[in-house]
Amino acid sequence: MSLDLAQIAIQIDSMAAKLQASEEERKQKLDFALNTLRSQSANLASLKRKIETGKTTWLVAGIEDKLDAHYPAPPSPEDFIVLATDGSHIDVDRHRSARCFVINIGIVRLNYGQTPSAFLSSLPMLHFKEEDVVLSSTTGSQQETIEGSLLGVKRSVEECHLLAELAKEVEANLPTVALLDGSLVLWGLAGQVYPAFVADALLENGLLKHLEELRQLSKGRQLALASYISFPRSTEVVNVLRLALCPYEPVDCDRYCASKTKERDCDNVAGLLDRELFEQLLTEGECSALFSSHSSIVKEHYREHQIYFFYVKTAGELVRVEVPQWVAEGRRLLDITHTIILDQCRRGQGYPVALSEAHEKAVITAADRDQFWQLVERSLARQDRMVKSSAKAKSKRMRWI
Amino acid sequence: MEIAAKVGEVIEASTSEFVAQCYQLHEPPPLGSLVKTKNAPGETYGIVYHAETHSLEPGRRPIARGEEVKEEEEIFRNNPQLAKLLCTDFRALVVGYGEGNRFFHYLPPRPARIHSFVYLCSMDEARNFARSLNFLSLLIEANLAVPVDEIVAASLRHFSQAYDDQQAFLVKAGKELALLLSGELKRLNSILRRLK
Repeated sequence: MSLDLAQIAIQIDSMAAKLQASEEERKQKLDFALNTLRSQSANLASLKRKIETGKTTWLVAGIEDKLDAHYPAPPSPEDFIVLATDGSHIDVDRHRSARCFVINIGIVRLNYGQTPSAFLSSLPMLHFKEEDVVLSSTTGSQQETIEGSLLGVKRSVEECHLLAELAKEVEANLPTVALLDGSLVLWGLAGQVYPAFVADALLENGLLKHLEELRQLSKGRQLALASYISFPRSTEVVNVLRLALCPYEPVDCDRYCASKTKERDCDNVAGLLDRELFEQLLTEGECSALFSSHSSIVKEHYREHQIYFFYVKTAGELVRVEVPQWVAEGRRLLDITHTIILDQCRRGQGYPVALSEAHEKAVITAADRDQFWQLVERSLARQDRMVKSSAKAKSKRMRWI
Repeated sequence: MEIAAKVGEVIEASTSEFVAQCYQLHEPPPLGSLVKTKNAPGETYGIVYHAETHSLEPGRRPIARGEEVKEEEEIFRNNPQLAKLLCTDFRALVVGYGEGNRFFHYLPPRPARIHSFVYLCSMDEARNFARSLNFLSLLIEANLAVPVDEIVAASLRHFSQAYDDQQAFLVKAGKELALLLSGELKRLNSILRRLK
């Protein structure tokens, strides 16, 4: 029996009505939040102290600059290079005869200016060796299979890896911005879901290694790395306002507001998203103040690659841009990141063209996926191996007898 | 002796035609021109009857980008990835093959090979090929996606450029067509009009 749309339609109407009603309430909250932001702007030092000493159950941004600071886009350089990578993958399939996965990374280099040129490519990598598909602790006593969300993390690491390789090959004399899609923070590893050796493999010997390669490359040349987050759902800056509104110091949610029934001062802005705030605060082309990430995974593992972020209002939307510390520290690198991201969004009909082309190169369609598994099975059969696959899989696709 | 120019690479091939992708965007060989591709032990000859520029990926279409730009070249300069996302192909109808100095105006024993290079024949070679106009019968009977008469006329106009006395060649071709289209006066006149 298919979905009863008539019944659902009534429920959808009801949802739309409720959302409309909460719009007014949300607008009031937003106005209040903006006023708070402006009034708190002058209290940089005291706010910083409150953030450092506070214990909150939600993530608060570190502040470096006046909260309501906003900067117009600097002029774009005449000649510059944009690099981007994006990836997709074919996950491990338990029902197949071989345990393996594929990571496909789209690689893009775009040169603008006197000698425009483009390089669009993709690099697929098949992982099947024991040491590639399973992470092991140093003693070998603990293991973690790379699949599902962990494979997503591995893919992010490979995107950064290939971006660093690409950066090594471009001319060093032109301003260059290397772009990634998504966050630089490997959220998939947060929350102690995985044992320490997993963070070692994917962070220490993974992402951080490649960030360090990029940092070394950027010495003596204008090379910036940034990650681009479209339609961000973060609330870290709104949470700074929550902290500012809190009557207690040091702030301690567990101590003062553990009871759910108590009304909190910070509820007056809670529920808003950073992008709603900055959508109002910034005019098109402007970027916000710089903030730092206080997420535990960054604080504990990222060392000299602490992650900073800012918001930019492009013609299409309000985006979050994350940069490593060595980019944040240099006004020039921040400037070219800001202006080149805007430039890319203009050329890309609202989204950075380098990232969208990298995505196109990375895409693996359902047909690609099917063909890949067919190739695997044929190849294994050619090797005269007994192609063992689960009965469930066989029942789903009897291709041959 | 002019050297034939390399213009593309075969991406589809059958007994009666081949499709080639051009190396230069927007620069296929002219409609009606004679092209050749290696097909050991000799070469297969074709007449270009269709060319097309399109997106390399089926799901993606070009969009207009030049509203605020003065010159068309600027669109490609401002968006360098475009040249990598578009391609120009052309289709050639097989009209014969050659081995050494001999030409055969009938279909070759085997189709062209994928990835073989396609060359635009020099005027000398075109003149040698057209010494006999037997290939016209293959052309006239062809079932093409474009009006055949257009291609017949275009190819004859192209071949005539290889002769000092273009008019003499066109008259000779006209006589050959009159024989082939003896029962189709309307069609014959339509082609002859396009030879001017």
